[in-house]
Amino acid sequence: MADEIMEGINPTRMELLDLKDREKLAVKGHSLLKEKRNALIMEFFKILERVKGSRDEVKAKLAIAYSELNKAQIDMGDLAVKRAALSVQESVDLEITSRSIMGVSVPVVKSQTTKSNLISRGYGFTETSVNLDIAAKEFEESIKLIIELGEIEKTIILLASEVESTKRRVNSLEHVVIPRIKNTVSYIEMRLEEMERESFVRLKVIKKSMEAHEKADAAIE
Amino acid sequence: MKNDIAIMADPDSVTGFMLGGIKSGFPVRDTEEAKKTLKQLVKDEYSIIIITEKYGDVLRDDIEKYTGSKALPMIIEVPDKSGSIEKESDPMNELIKKVIGVEMVK
Repeated sequence: MADEIMEGINPTRMELLDLKDREKLAVKGHSLLKEKRNALIMEFFKILERVKGSRDEVKAKLAIAYSELNKAQIDMGDLAVKRAALSVQESVDLEITSRSIMGVSVPVVKSQTTKSNLISRGYGFTETSVNLDIAAKEFEESIKLIIELGEIEKTIILLASEVESTKRRVNSLEHVVIPRIKNTVSYIEMRLEEMERESFVRLKVIKKSMEAHEKADAAIE
Repeated sequence: MKNDIAIMADPDSVTGFMLGGIKSGFPVRDTEEAKKTLKQLVKDEYSIIIITEKYGDVLRDDIEKYTGSKALPMIIEVPDKSGSIEKESDPMNELIKKVIGVEMVK
């Protein structure tokens, strides 16, 4: 693959100049993309620090929340819990903006979880047990963690796909496009030199034969 | 895009999350229903959709289709009340390994 030359190229000086320009462009593009790739990977590592353990944290928190919910359901009955849940006030306020990491726009979530106390949650006291309060609190905290986790994971996914496509482009430039152009350039150069030598020899031969003619003519006269 | 958060899970989990203050709860009972609901949620432009790992696993293709390379919606998978599924390979870890692993070779 690396010693291929481009097809349909005429070995002319115009093509040579053209190709040299293209090679310059490809090399420039290659170095730019390489820088982009490195920057992306640095960002990727930065995000990785944040994701560490974040999922486990969510898992642990949710496990507690579910068990508290279970207790509440045992205390009050399934239906009563559901009724209480329906009357809970919305606590999560989302503001989603995006920021751009090397041209990849990733979401940034600003979540405003209003820490609701017992009264502001919205269900009555008479029919609810204390376990319900604990469960509600645990879920509120879990939701906050989950939103954070979602943001990080989404960022990782987006960055990863960008890293990958950039890497592919860098590699294809490095291992296919640039070598091919280089080979074609050297092919054209060789052909041009060959043609030069050919015409040089041809001129010599013609000159010789012309001299021979002249000599012959002179001899006749 | 409205900045809203929705939960799609089994009825019990939905109850829990609604207790935590998410107003858009969508209880689903089987895969078919989950598939339809998810489609509707994406169409309704919820920006964060929380689903359980159980449905996440069966709807993997749909999720990929909806999120793809777009920033939104975010579909987040969380464990349901029976605990998290022990997966052989965490897709996130797999992804990280893929991105960095190749780099190490460089």
